[in-house]
Amino acid sequence: MARTFGIGWRHPHYRELLERRPALDFLEVHSENFFADGGAALSVLLRGRAHYPVSLHGVGLSLGAAMGVDAWHLDKLARLVERVEPVRVSDHASFARACITPASASTGANASSLPVHAADLLPIPFNRAALDVLCANVQVVQERLKRPILVENLSAYLRWKPSSGDAWLGEVQFLTLLARRTGCQLLVDVNNLYVNALNDQPAIAHADTAAWAACAVAACTGWLNAIPPAYVGELHVAGHCRVADEHGGIAIDDHGSPVCADVWRLHAMASRRFKGVPTLVEWDTDVPELDILLAEVQTARINTRRPDALLQSVTRP
Amino acid sequence: MSTLATQQNALVAALFSWPAEAAVKNLADFADLSTPCAAHFLQGQRGLRAYQANGHALAERALLAAYPVVAQLLGPESFAALARALWHAHPPVRGDLAEWGGLLAAFLAHDEQLQDEPYLADTASLEWALHLCAGAADQAPQPSSLRLLTQHDPAEIQLQLAPACQVLLSGWPIVSIVNAHLMATPELDLAGQKLRLRVAETALVWRQLQQPRCREAVPGEGDLVTALLAGATLGQALTGAPALDVAAWLPMAVKSGLLLGVTRQISQ
Repeated sequence: MARTFGIGWRHPHYRELLERRPALDFLEVHSENFFADGGAALSVLLRGRAHYPVSLHGVGLSLGAAMGVDAWHLDKLARLVERVEPVRVSDHASFARACITPASASTGANASSLPVHAADLLPIPFNRAALDVLCANVQVVQERLKRPILVENLSAYLRWKPSSGDAWLGEVQFLTLLARRTGCQLLVDVNNLYVNALNDQPAIAHADTAAWAACAVAACTGWLNAIPPAYVGELHVAGHCRVADEHGGIAIDDHGSPVCADVWRLHAMASRRFKGVPTLVEWDTDVPELDILLAEVQTARINTRRPDALLQSVTRP
Repeated sequence: MSTLATQQNALVAALFSWPAEAAVKNLADFADLSTPCAAHFLQGQRGLRAYQANGHALAERALLAAYPVVAQLLGPESFAALARALWHAHPPVRGDLAEWGGLLAAFLAHDEQLQDEPYLADTASLEWALHLCAGAADQAPQPSSLRLLTQHDPAEIQLQLAPACQVLLSGWPIVSIVNAHLMATPELDLAGQKLRLRVAETALVWRQLQQPRCREAVPGEGDLVTALLAGATLGQALTGAPALDVAAWLPMAVKSGLLLGVTRQISQ
């Protein structure tokens, strides 16, 4: 299977990409940005689709929500899939829908709980109950779309406490079981792995940035080596930032800078392990000139052909 | 309710509550929020702040996309504060943020701090109409159908108007305010002068090809379009709009993309 490479096609590049039509194997767009019934954005997407395969990547299905998938959202996505005939459809192993009592609602005995959408990719606990919910929701989506979807691992900034009597799984086991039970594929975001690994390092390691990064790379390597290759259908790479605070700092997956050297090394390793899997370069904030994005794609292409020797430091940290 | 649902409700409540203390305390039953963890660098409190900050950034971006004029009128700091306040008072219901923000006009109308700027709510209503118009279903013009205008009695025909066409009545010069900021026509000084004089304007919103438009309705046009949108025949609509110069309106409506075509109503 030939490797393919694509970029996240965002608003600043709509016109330029259609005019230049650079050599890309696919374009990725955020599904929700094209949920409107008509208008300029949808028209641009369909023009892009005339020249490139399109991958629809969602950020709002809330696949891990205990209250289920929003039928409105699924209807919109199904209609978009019919129009675009995407090469892939994906979303995240996360939730955003829940019931709360908004500040504007009445208080006291009349307070009413309403379903809301947090517009974020919130983590789900890696336990059996969450797995059952996620599997059920993924099945609902796949049956409606009449195709398997891909589900992406998350960068998370909050961890759930295991509750008593709850069978707790590791993330790799959790995602592997998800793929096995639903027939979905896994979208491995290498930068998400790295961000999580950075933030998981003990504070003592963080004092030495190099040691912090080395520990993170080792953790990611273990993660990548544990995921069964047959379940992996796409790789994502992106940039992240590090925000300093009184505790030392936090890595944020902001997709607003070039892919860092460690993530490129991990991507090279992942490309070797997950043969023929497409790679997407994401850049969502402070979007640079198109040529910079295309250069990142070129790096990704070269990266997949790295000799084994260059990977030694990754596979044996 | 399952433990998972309880956990998820607690986290989302913590993100939307304002101030957040009580909801965060509730969330601490389920997530690592306050206990320093020797094995992990990241602490939940900081993670929660990261999610809250992201939510606020999204709120500002989404609201700015729909309300560029209100944003200019308020200035960046006040508008950001408004976006955050609306985010907590009326959280999104859908997973598409383009759907969020429709309650801004009502929110502004009830905001005590903004009672000195009473035109803001109507301006927001007009901007939301333009926002909805941008994503309305496409409709192709049917120019050949216009011949029906000369072949049949107005009581037998209906006019097909542009996507998301809407009429908004206001006691303020909302069209002048919006177009002065978005199109530089009229000039800001003139819009300001109309505002000081409290000139009332009836706004007509429609989409010309892919471009949302608004202009002040000509005399009688608001009544005509309102009746047409309610399903009236051209004859019925004209009866309710005696002030309209229909001979001048029809070619203008076709040229501007407001009138897409004509259909004949088949009598039962």
